Amino acid sequence: MTSRSLRALTYVGLLLGALLLFRQALAHEGHSHGDEPPPPAAAAPRAEAHSDLFELVAVLGTDARLWIYLDRHASNEPIDGATLAMSVDGQEVAVERAGEAVYVASPPAFATPGPRNLLFTITAGEEMDLLPATLEVPAVAAGVAAPHGIAEDAAALLRNPLVWGFAGVSLLLGLLLGRLASPRRLPALVEEEPAPAPAAAKHGPTPLPKRAAALVPALLLVGLLLPTAASAQPMDAPRRQPDGSVFVPKPTQRLLGVRTVMAERAEAPVAVQIVGQVIADPNASGRVQSPQAGRIEPPEGGFPTLGSRVERGQVLAWIIPVLAAQERSGVQASLAELDAQIAIAQARVQRLSGLAGSVSAREISEARAELDGLRQRRAAVESGLNGREAVRASASGVLSVVNAVAGQIVDAREPLFEVVDPARLWIEAVAFDAALVAEIAGASAVTTGGQPLALSFIGRGLALRQQAVPLQFRIEQVPPGLSVGTPVTVTVQTPRRAGGIVLPSEAVVRSPEGSQIVFEMPGAERFVPRPVRVQPLDGRTVLVTAGLDRGARVVTQAAGLIAQVR
Amino acid sequence: MMTTRRTLGIGLAALALTPGVAGAHEPRRGPNGGQKVDIGQNHGELVAQGGTLRLFLFDGADRPLPAAGASAQAVVLAGGRQATVALTPAGANVLAGSGDFTAARGMRAVVTLTLPNQRPVQARFTPMDQD
Repeated sequence: MTSRSLRALTYVGLLLGALLLFRQALAHEGHSHGDEPPPPAAAAPRAEAHSDLFELVAVLGTDARLWIYLDRHASNEPIDGATLAMSVDGQEVAVERAGEAVYVASPPAFATPGPRNLLFTITAGEEMDLLPATLEVPAVAAGVAAPHGIAEDAAALLRNPLVWGFAGVSLLLGLLLGRLASPRRLPALVEEEPAPAPAAAKHGPTPLPKRAAALVPALLLVGLLLPTAASAQPMDAPRRQPDGSVFVPKPTQRLLGVRTVMAERAEAPVAVQIVGQVIADPNASGRVQSPQAGRIEPPEGGFPTLGSRVERGQVLAWIIPVLAAQERSGVQASLAELDAQIAIAQARVQRLSGLAGSVSAREISEARAELDGLRQRRAAVESGLNGREAVRASASGVLSVVNAVAGQIVDAREPLFEVVDPARLWIEAVAFDAALVAEIAGASAVTTGGQPLALSFIGRGLALRQQAVPLQFRIEQVPPGLSVGTPVTVTVQTPRRAGGIVLPSEAVVRSPEGSQIVFEMPGAERFVPRPVRVQPLDGRTVLVTAGLDRGARVVTQAAGLIAQVR
Repeated sequence: MMTTRRTLGIGLAALALTPGVAGAHEPRRGPNGGQKVDIGQNHGELVAQGGTLRLFLFDGADRPLPAAGASAQAVVLAGGRQATVALTPAGANVLAGSGDFTAARGMRAVVTLTLPNQRPVQARFTPMDQD
């Protein structure tokens, strides 16, 4: 028979099959039995069953053992430490734990091909369940020769441990022969330095038999290990099915950490996303500026460092006024003048005190007051020449900007320090569509690093800033390490509500065509991409408004990895 | 290899296009107050009462299926205990049997039905969990 006629025959057969199904569907009043799409032909024989609690996949391994994977049905979480009892066509078969949430059974009944009725009794903690499943034992696994394609034959051969053993022995023999036939190393032309160790006195290459003897056990070990490795868990490759769904076997799902959730319809507020950035709360932060021109001097113990905590009123630096030469000489002249006046006043007080009795007391007290006044004026002028002024922290918090350097000459109003209270930060955002944020029911934000922030609305400015409405929010719980100026995406919830399915935002991925999809999990190992319409809710969740029905099991974790399966 | 893959693709597409494939496999309430599910190519309705099970048989179009010559075995999980109940013909389309269990909410049963000249088929019932 030629390949073309064979192909034609296949087409006819498939057409007939489809027609048969059509008839069956009609006979069954709108539904047919056993219409689940099969797993890829290359995958190991498998059976699956689920209840509202558990999901179970049983895979027939290459060694005729049955590998059982037990998970929660709703969340796809593996269940470890469960007790499983299995019966095959009514016969009890022992089930052992083979690994984390993996169980294995060696039923003797799989020697012949055909369908098998499996019944699992599962006990996981308080929960018990019965799950029936049907496993089709193929001729290959049953060890009966049947006509196959080349690939299937090769796969069947690979499943046989004998083949592995034979391959291992052949490899060993080949390596040994290669070793023996390889050209020996020529003795060195120049005499080598005699090594100090006596064991190495016999220099030159190690005798060949000795090396081979060391090599053989290692290779033997590898040869012995290979068949056991091959007979471990059946590892089927995940692959995209012709109908667009993705087949991901349970072991791969465990590796990827696939988790699911049952889609439930919910009402959620419509949200709008705008951009913003973290700012300091103006009531809890402060800028420290130089009150006058002068030279900066550090306080006792040096300048407070960046990031250190300062209290309100704490001296951060000293400013020593710097006078120009002309000013200085003027001050010095007035000092000298004051000194002279003080000397005169002092002499006058002394003279009048000596004449007490003949001079009126009023005159004496006047002279004294004049002397005191002159001394005070002198002190004030002198402090202008040599005194210093404290620069104090205007708020309690953490120093975020330090511009002060000892000896630096600064102008008045020059910013020296900035103090930020790390527990009180705000967010300033701009909305370009004022109508969208006319009413704000709630707000949350996500930093560019993915950190979620809960916000409360403070107010909005009525003056547009670059054609956008400025909005301010208070961060409820400021996470440690959040910096002023961090760009954030603010999700503003409006009082309008929409119905849909709330999912974590990781559940929605981009398809290769660029549309937004989620993966539904209709079977234990089958994932179907569903194009959806999505609205943002807050930073972490989205609302699927179309494309998904309630009750569907949707992948929430590792959806991006499933999308990459080709 | 490529051709087989393509034919497989066409076949699957034909399967997908077959009308009515996305049908109701959900357990539903049967005419006798029990739970009706698909069992093999047919439908079965399980009614649990006290320690008795009754299995009504219907064909794919929900017409009663004669129970003569059929046999069934039910594994019942109720109240944390497992019991096995043998069901024998007890009417036109009914198999019945009783065992050491008490039907209560949360009860599960797996019925293995053997129709004359057919291989056994299994179905899972939760007859007491219907709303």
